Amino acid sequence: MKAVGARLPRYDATEHVTSGTRYVDDVRIPGTLWAKALRSPHDNAEILSIDTSKAEAMAGVHAVVTFKDVHKNVHGHIEGLGIPGDEPLLAETHVRYKGQPIAAVAADSEALAQRATEAIEVTYKVLPALFDVRKAFDADAPQAHHWGNWYPHFEGEMDRRQIRKGDIEQAFADADVIVQGTYRPAAIEHVPLETQVCQVVPEAGGRFVVYSATQAMYFSMGVVAAHLNWPLNKLKFVGGTTGGGFGGKVDTATETITTLLAIKSHRPVRWRWTRAEEFLFSSTRAAWHMEIADAVTKDGWILGRKMLTLHDAGAFARFSPYGVTKHAFHHTGAYTIPNLEFNGFVVYTNRTPSTAMRGFGVTSVSFATETHLERIAQTLGMDPLEVRMKNATRIGDTSPNGIPYTDPSTVPVMQALSGAVGIELPAHYRTMTSAIRSGEDLPGHLVAQLGNPEDH
Amino acid sequence: MEDPAVLIPTSVAEAIESFGAGGDIAIIGGGTILVPEIRLGHARPSRALMLHGAGLAGISREGTRTTIGAMTPLSALSSLGEPIAAAVSNIADLEIRGQGTVGGNLCAQNTDAPRGDLQGVLIALGATVRSVGAGGERSEPAETFLPGRADRLVLDVSFDAPAAGAYAYLDRAHTHEYTALAVTAVRTADGTIRLGANGAGPHGLRLPSAEAAAADPSAAGVAALADVQLFDDAIASAWYREKTLPVLVRRALEQLKETA
Amino acid sequence: MNITINGTSRIVNAGPLTPLLHVLREELDVLSPKAGCQQGGCGTCTVLVNGEPRRSCLLPIAAVEGAEVRTVEGLASGGKLTPVQEAWIHHYAAQCGFCTSGFLMAATAYLEKGGSDDHAEIAAALGGHVCRCTGYVKIYDAVAAAARGESFDLATTAAGSRTTIRGVEL
Repeated sequence: MKAVGARLPRYDATEHVTSGTRYVDDVRIPGTLWAKALRSPHDNAEILSIDTSKAEAMAGVHAVVTFKDVHKNVHGHIEGLGIPGDEPLLAETHVRYKGQPIAAVAADSEALAQRATEAIEVTYKVLPALFDVRKAFDADAPQAHHWGNWYPHFEGEMDRRQIRKGDIEQAFADADVIVQGTYRPAAIEHVPLETQVCQVVPEAGGRFVVYSATQAMYFSMGVVAAHLNWPLNKLKFVGGTTGGGFGGKVDTATETITTLLAIKSHRPVRWRWTRAEEFLFSSTRAAWHMEIADAVTKDGWILGRKMLTLHDAGAFARFSPYGVTKHAFHHTGAYTIPNLEFNGFVVYTNRTPSTAMRGFGVTSVSFATETHLERIAQTLGMDPLEVRMKNATRIGDTSPNGIPYTDPSTVPVMQALSGAVGIELPAHYRTMTSAIRSGEDLPGHLVAQLGNPEDH
Repeated sequence: MEDPAVLIPTSVAEAIESFGAGGDIAIIGGGTILVPEIRLGHARPSRALMLHGAGLAGISREGTRTTIGAMTPLSALSSLGEPIAAAVSNIADLEIRGQGTVGGNLCAQNTDAPRGDLQGVLIALGATVRSVGAGGERSEPAETFLPGRADRLVLDVSFDAPAAGAYAYLDRAHTHEYTALAVTAVRTADGTIRLGANGAGPHGLRLPSAEAAAADPSAAGVAALADVQLFDDAIASAWYREKTLPVLVRRALEQLKETA
Repeated sequence: MNITINGTSRIVNAGPLTPLLHVLREELDVLSPKAGCQQGGCGTCTVLVNGEPRRSCLLPIAAVEGAEVRTVEGLASGGKLTPVQEAWIHHYAAQCGFCTSGFLMAATAYLEKGGSDDHAEIAAALGGHVCRCTGYVKIYDAVAAAARGESFDLATTAAGSRTTIRGVEL
């Protein structure tokens, strides 16, 4: 055990400080073309026509690709998890968010590639757009997505991720107080200092080398291969050096389109997004709308929680159904609530599609739960730490989706934190452990639901 | 889009001749605004006038009068006392201040951000801007120069040393943010109070109503709302500017009193 | 047109408005300055121009004709790292590394001008630079340690600064 507890330097630190680290944009292959995308100027529109002929005729333009060049244009990032694809690689009949790629160009220089995208003529029928998840369910809401305004394929055919646990109606009947709150964290851009970037180099023998900034090498390789209908052995991915990702480089944002351009032009191609593209069109952490109603006793026990979550997927699903599933499984935070009714929707809007970001699906509910516990404490006039210690997850409790906790850490973490900030917990909570509940940790109305199953 | 034809004059006279009557020509001072705009294709001028070798840099003093050449880097202004020193130290970071110029800052367009931090400051100082363009050379107060600045080539700005100056601004957490709103207060050598604002209109504005009420800083703050054209942009709403402008006017005037 | 890069004179063919960053990366294959935002907002492209830190993405090449440009490639000599490079390794100041080149050049200019380990002064010198991975604490630690003239054991990493809440160290 040489590493555990040791202060080892980073394996790549010397390379970082001497500029020995080669990022994707540092790969230099003679004859490399620059790629640029033509992106939708509209939030929601029907595409009536796409004419690339003027761009193709420009001197120095070596390839123009549209949906016609993609074998499987719609491929879901996580079809392997049973989540069907809904997003075209290059738009065909509709654009659903401002910035959605419609065509891409490879040309001798970055400026020429930009001019070539501007020479592509697209006609649109502009449609009303949806930006607010709360309006998605209205009868007169604009249609944001071809499946409707919310994702309909949980477990194949469910229109929501739902959890039913215990007896929620009894919990609300037993409550002294119902504490309600709505929580709406905004979308967040990852802002990696390295923007989305890719270089693809054709090799003799028909194989293509993809220099990728991805956070998920084999995943991205599978996505590219699926779009092209190629065996994996026609692709060689070179990665492992990412100039910041934070979840935003899990999406395969550049690799497939760059590969298409390299195939069509028979030349190496580099596609590096501008900072403006990164801010405006790369996926973000989702915005969330969460409504919580907790059934609470006057001494601070949370008997039940009803929760509605509207997850703003943006224009396409990407990883959102997975994120909402994680969200559902964590929707009581670090606490145990025995009776639950949770409904979570992946709502489509005409905003930039959202994706993973640090603590995917869970940071939203942590924010909501911790804020809501403060609200409960204020409503009851109780110490907020006491509310947390009382409802803290303990050994033998089960998660919202029924997984028994064997080593929960809420209690020791709360004890350490209260000590660190100089707040003295009542003696009972100072000596509390995560052990199975008993005695005053288990009031009568919770015995049946939270007690040691071996006791009864 | 073709690359602009680039003119690189080596003297002031050559710069004036190259600029002529202006028109479709981008003036590159330090380049901090226009170089990326042109590279990204956001600005597509047919000609570019690069002034780095034109001999327009430098600060001179004659009695109480200070004259700053248009190509003087912003970093060189930190020795000029208040309110300029405080305003300059709030512009971007030291790397940008070393490259950006007085002329560029004065002429910055505010199409997508409240650029041009010195506009309100120079108005408050009662500065004179000397410029060329259609109709030849002209010297005029900063507040009358600013509306037509897109068609002028600035040669220098000059002002008399004030008795005191103060700068109040909306502070931001990060160096990179443009200052959403700033107010400069100056007491001139003869005791007159002058006020200028940035981020309160299409360019720096003088606040005459607030000046008239300057004896009572709180009243002056409210009065200032009559002098401005508030707007929404990416970093602040008109509503927010309306709420904070009176506060900044009051703070600048109170600060000025303290330096009596 | 000529510029001197890390002591070597180089001929440049790019047009006069071309940003120095583009000349360095695309024409001269000097790859340490990074194209993070190309509009002056992030600091990944900072190099030293006649000893002064500058955003190379904003500098038109004609304005630096004949200048001495220094980049990270010119810091170490004969395999010997500069103290601030060693400080970066020892204090774990790089994670993804993409911001590192720009920070190192800004820090190098600060230290060559006699900068101290004062937190506010370091903040003023590096305030235009963005890091999204480590945060800034370890970067401050590294610059401050280099300013104090400390020597660094590159086989280990320094203890980090501790976070305190209401005066209590966590």
